[in-house]
Amino acid sequence: MLEHTHWGLPIIGYFFLAGLGAGAYTVSGSVLLRGGGGGFGQQHFKLARYGALLAPLPVIIGTGMLILELGSFEVGNYFKFINLFLTINLSPMSVGAWLLNAFILASLLYAFTFWSADSKPGDQWDTLRRRLAWAGVPLGIAVAVYTGVLLGAMPARPFWNSPVLAMLFLVSSLSTGVAGILLLRALFDNDNTEQPGQGEGGYILAASDAMLIGFELLVIFLFIMFAHLTVGNVKEAVSVILSGGDLATLFWFGVVVVGLLLPVLIELKYVIPKLLYHREYYAPRGVEILVPVVVLIGGFLLRYVVVYAGQMTGPVGI
Amino acid sequence: MTVLSPTITRRDIINNLGKGAAVVATVSALPVSAKAAVGGHQTQYGMVIDTRRCSGCHACSVACKSEFDVPLGNTRSWVEYTEKGTYPNVSRGFLPRLCNQCSEPQCVSVCPTGATYKRAEDGIVVVDPDICIGCKYCMQACPYDARFINPITGAADKCDFCVHRVAKGVVPSCVNTCPGRARIFGDLNDPKSEISRVLDSNRVTVLRPAMGTKPNVFYIDADHSDESDIRYAGQYIDVTTHRKELARR
Repeated sequence: MLEHTHWGLPIIGYFFLAGLGAGAYTVSGSVLLRGGGGGFGQQHFKLARYGALLAPLPVIIGTGMLILELGSFEVGNYFKFINLFLTINLSPMSVGAWLLNAFILASLLYAFTFWSADSKPGDQWDTLRRRLAWAGVPLGIAVAVYTGVLLGAMPARPFWNSPVLAMLFLVSSLSTGVAGILLLRALFDNDNTEQPGQGEGGYILAASDAMLIGFELLVIFLFIMFAHLTVGNVKEAVSVILSGGDLATLFWFGVVVVGLLLPVLIELKYVIPKLLYHREYYAPRGVEILVPVVVLIGGFLLRYVVVYAGQMTGPVGI
Repeated sequence: MTVLSPTITRRDIINNLGKGAAVVATVSALPVSAKAAVGGHQTQYGMVIDTRRCSGCHACSVACKSEFDVPLGNTRSWVEYTEKGTYPNVSRGFLPRLCNQCSEPQCVSVCPTGATYKRAEDGIVVVDPDICIGCKYCMQACPYDARFINPITGAADKCDFCVHRVAKGVVPSCVNTCPGRARIFGDLNDPKSEISRVLDSNRVTVLRPAMGTKPNVFYIDADHSDESDIRYAGQYIDVTTHRKELARR
């Protein structure tokens, strides 16, 4: 059923990577700006730095992958994509292309303000950094949302034609962004569990990620429920991920169980003792690596299932 | 402009309001009468396909292929066969397909570069291959699967009602070649055109009207049965698309 799909792995990879980068910038910006109010165990700057250094790279790689799948690129007109930037219109792809430009520029500058290993709050880049953090929160949200709007804009693709899809992509982007920061922290931060209070950053991230995954499960429930309760095109389309559908196993096992339920349950196991009983937060290094990895796998599989399911289904009848 | 005097009455005000309204009405009526003066209406080319006269001979598909040198494996115009039923209650229908040149073309509204647009002069939806970057968004948006990526230009391509012929007053190639004279082409907005008279005197349908695209290709007596239609579950139905995409989507 996949032989005549127009958008394949490059687009799926782009949706995933752009979501990851957008989420990382948004989370980093909000952590930096909210950190002044405390609550991150003096780790807010470090967490914001991981997010800032992570954000531009996946978006740049993903955007590059987009160009690979253009028909013009395939026949050797490697720079024809420039035509995108000779105009602007209300097509979600046009808006998105300009947004990506702004995002990449701002996120690169933002990463630059964190570049030095001994950057700290109040150093010479502080004003610029805070301004770019203010810019990054809406920019990240816009990039994450537009990918869902882009798919959702077409009645001819009933699986995608849902207002909840953009919301789903946004929540998934934020969740994968948090996971990216968690993963970098687990891999590169060597003293995160030694001193008391040092686990605070991990706790905040794990707790937010658990909350985001909870929201994501809710949005998925709404997406499926409203599609299934209707009749006609949308109901037929959503049946591709319901029992007996071609993508059902991948969706329910890959996205829901591995990508959402598994990480949220593990996170809750470590978060709840502190949340309810104010115990010290501690999670072994292995868990701090495993959880973000499965969240990222889930985020990728979600884009995979959505992009293919939308193209495998269409309006019913002729 | 009336100079307000202290002795102004309620009747004066009402009279003046009336005059103002008359001026506004004249001004807003101007563009319309100017348009009528140049003798025109908005041309919207369209097509009626009388499937009762179609024998599924593919002459239109072949004429289209040769008119545009359409690359192998791609189709701007094609004919689908629908077979259904169980002996002795069976039927076979032919459904010639092409771009519907919609009045609300979603391919146009999603195009990020403006490469695809609906021509103001004749309502034909065209693609400018010099601008198109081949992002395939229009191919996702089209409910009729009318578009493909031309492997030579790398741009989106589709039926354009033979715009180069139509501009010279010649009918499209498929219309010209149809041995059954199943295709009628013309200006839908000209009440005297043949197509307008045929549309007025026949029951016609369009494909997938629920998509809201307002197609300008109409069918007489078309079989809208489809494999994906739940109404035909358990019944023999087979659609042959005669193109690379073996199933309708």
